[in-house]
Amino acid sequence: MMQNPYIPIPVVVDKIITEVTTKDIKTFRLAFVNTEDEERFQYLPGQFGELSIFGKGESPIGIASSPTQPGYLEFTVQKAGVVTSELHSIEEGFRMGVRGPLGNTWPIDYLKGKNVVIVGGGFAFTTLRSLLNYMIHEDNRSDFGKITVVYGAREPGLLIYKDELAAWEARDDVDMNVTVDKGDAAWTGREGFVPAVCEQVAPGSENAVAVICGPPVMIRFTLPVFFNLGFSKENIYTSLEMRMKCGIGKCGRCNVGSRYVCKDGPVFSLEELDKLTKEY
Amino acid sequence: MLKKIGLEKLDALASALMERGELFAPVAGDAGVDFQRIDNPGDVTLDFYNTLRSPKEVFFPQADDMVRYRLTHDGVETEEIPLDFEPRIILGVRPCDVRSFEVMDRLFAGGDIVDPYWEERRKSTTIIGYAFDRVDPADFYTTFGIGAADPTGSDIFMIKGEGDLFLKGITERGEELLGSISVLEDVSPENEGYFEEKIAESARLETRILATEGVPEKLEAVFEDPYWIEAAAPCLNCGVCTYVCPTCHCFDIQDETLFGKGARRRIWDSCMFTDFTLHTSGHNPRTKKSQRLRQRICHKFSYYVTNFDVVSCVGCGRCIRSCPVHIDIMAVVEGAAALP
Repeated sequence: MMQNPYIPIPVVVDKIITEVTTKDIKTFRLAFVNTEDEERFQYLPGQFGELSIFGKGESPIGIASSPTQPGYLEFTVQKAGVVTSELHSIEEGFRMGVRGPLGNTWPIDYLKGKNVVIVGGGFAFTTLRSLLNYMIHEDNRSDFGKITVVYGAREPGLLIYKDELAAWEARDDVDMNVTVDKGDAAWTGREGFVPAVCEQVAPGSENAVAVICGPPVMIRFTLPVFFNLGFSKENIYTSLEMRMKCGIGKCGRCNVGSRYVCKDGPVFSLEELDKLTKEY
Repeated sequence: MLKKIGLEKLDALASALMERGELFAPVAGDAGVDFQRIDNPGDVTLDFYNTLRSPKEVFFPQADDMVRYRLTHDGVETEEIPLDFEPRIILGVRPCDVRSFEVMDRLFAGGDIVDPYWEERRKSTTIIGYAFDRVDPADFYTTFGIGAADPTGSDIFMIKGEGDLFLKGITERGEELLGSISVLEDVSPENEGYFEEKIAESARLETRILATEGVPEKLEAVFEDPYWIEAAAPCLNCGVCTYVCPTCHCFDIQDETLFGKGARRRIWDSCMFTDFTLHTSGHNPRTKKSQRLRQRICHKFSYYVTNFDVVSCVGCGRCIRSCPVHIDIMAVVEGAAALP
C-alpha cells in the first residue's frame, strides 16, 4: 500500500509561546509521536505543513523552525479562521496532526556563496526565521556570505521571536536591523518603515540575493528600493500565500496561471512571478 | 473474443457482472440517466445518449470519507478507511468518458505524489465501453481524436445492434471477464461481420471540431482581455458545468462532525464559486465571475496542457447541454482564439 498523502502525521504540542502583546500570534512547538515520522519529515526552510485538528480541519502554515533544530517543528500562527482559532485555544500536551513537508524551499543552493538580505514585515517572518537559523548554524554559516536582516513591525509589542532578535543582534556575523513603525516609551531601537530602513541600510546588490516576505503594502514599497540598489528580478525571492486544501497540487484552487502555489511554490523569484498571470 | 446477448436479457448480464464485482451502470432517474451502484440488475438501462453526470464518481465520489474520527473527552480517536477495494465493473461508458479517465490519471496518479483514493479505485475497476450510435450537436470529442466507436481505454467494448448487444474483449482483463460470463452467447461469423459493420458505421460519426492548435499560448496572451467579461456576462456561477464535467477535479476537504462523530471528507468543489479562493484574511484573487470563467477555460485548455500535456476536456458536451444560460465552452475557446 502506498503512503497516503492526506493522512496527518501525529504530533503532540510540546510548547506554546505567545509572541505578541495582542496575544493573537503564538508559536507552537510540535513533537512527533513516532520517531520514524520525524526521520521521514525531511524539510528545508521555506516549506510549509498542513496543521490538522480533527473536527475543525486543516490550515497551511509555513514551518518556522529550522532543520538544524532536530526533535520538533515550530509553526507561528495568527488567530484568524476556524483551525487557527482552535489552535489558539489548546494547551500544551494537545495531540494533533501535521501533513508535510509541502511546497518548495527558499533557494538554499542558489544562496550558497552569496550575500543574503532577509527582509520581513509583521508576522511574515516565520519561514525567514527558519532560513536565518539555518544559515547561521555552525555547520552552514561558512556556506553563505554577508547576512543582512531588516525586520519590522508596527509597534514593539508586535515583533515576534523577541529572544532570538536579541541573540541575532549580538552576533557579529549578522547585520541585524530591527525597526518598528512607531516605538513606545521603552523602545530604544530604530523607528521607520521597512522600505525606508532598507534604503538606509542599502545592502549591496553585488553577488547578493534578497528574500522578502511581508504584507503586500510592504512588498510594494520595498521592491523599488531593491531595484534602485541594483537587484535584478532573478535575485529577489518571495513567498506567496493562497487558499489551499490538499497541499499537493491536486485540489485545484491555489494556482496562479499554470503554477500551483502549494507544489510549485510557495517560493518564487520575481522573475518567475513576472511570467505568471497577476491573479494572486 | 466477441460475445453477444439479447437486449431483453440485459438484467441477466447485469446479474452475472454483479457476481464478479461491484457494478456501476446507467440508471434512469427523474432528471435523466446517471451512473449508479447497482443493487437491482433490472435497473440498468442502455437507452440513453449520454449520462447527465460523468462516470468520474466511480473513482472520485462527490463526497468521499478520508478519515473517520470520534471526539473523546481527552482527544480524538481516528479510524483510517481501508482502500483495498473489491473488484468493480463500470458498464456503458461512452468513448469520450473513457478518455477522461486517462486525462485524470495524469493528475491523480502521475507525478511524485499519487492520490490513493483515485488510484486504488482505478486499479480495481474493469471498464466496459459503449459506442455512440449518433451525434449530439453539443459534442466535440472528435477534436481530441476520440472516435464514436473508439475502444481505447476500455477493457471490454460494446455496441448495440438490432436486438442484440455485442461485447468485444479489448484487454486481457476484459477477455478474462468476458470469458467467465456464461449468459453471453458465442457469435456466428455473420454476427462478426455485422459487429464490424456497426463499429465502422459508428466510427464514421463526427462531432464538431475545435481548432486547438496554439490555443494554450493564445489563452495566456489574452488573459487580460475584456473578452472574458463579455463571455462570462450570462454566467450565473451555478457551477453545474463543473459538476457534470468528467475532467473537473477540484475538491474541498472538510471535517463534518455530528454528536462527536465525524469524518474528514473530500467533496467536489467548483472554481465557479466565490469562496473557492477566498482567503481567511478576506482577500480573494477571483472575486469576479469573469475571472472564474476564465480560470475554468484556461485551466482546461492552457494550464493543464502545460502541466500534463493534454487538454483537460474530452468534448463530451455535458456542460453545454446542462448550462442554464447556454454557454458553449467550445464557442468561448474559439472566441478567445479569434481575438486579435
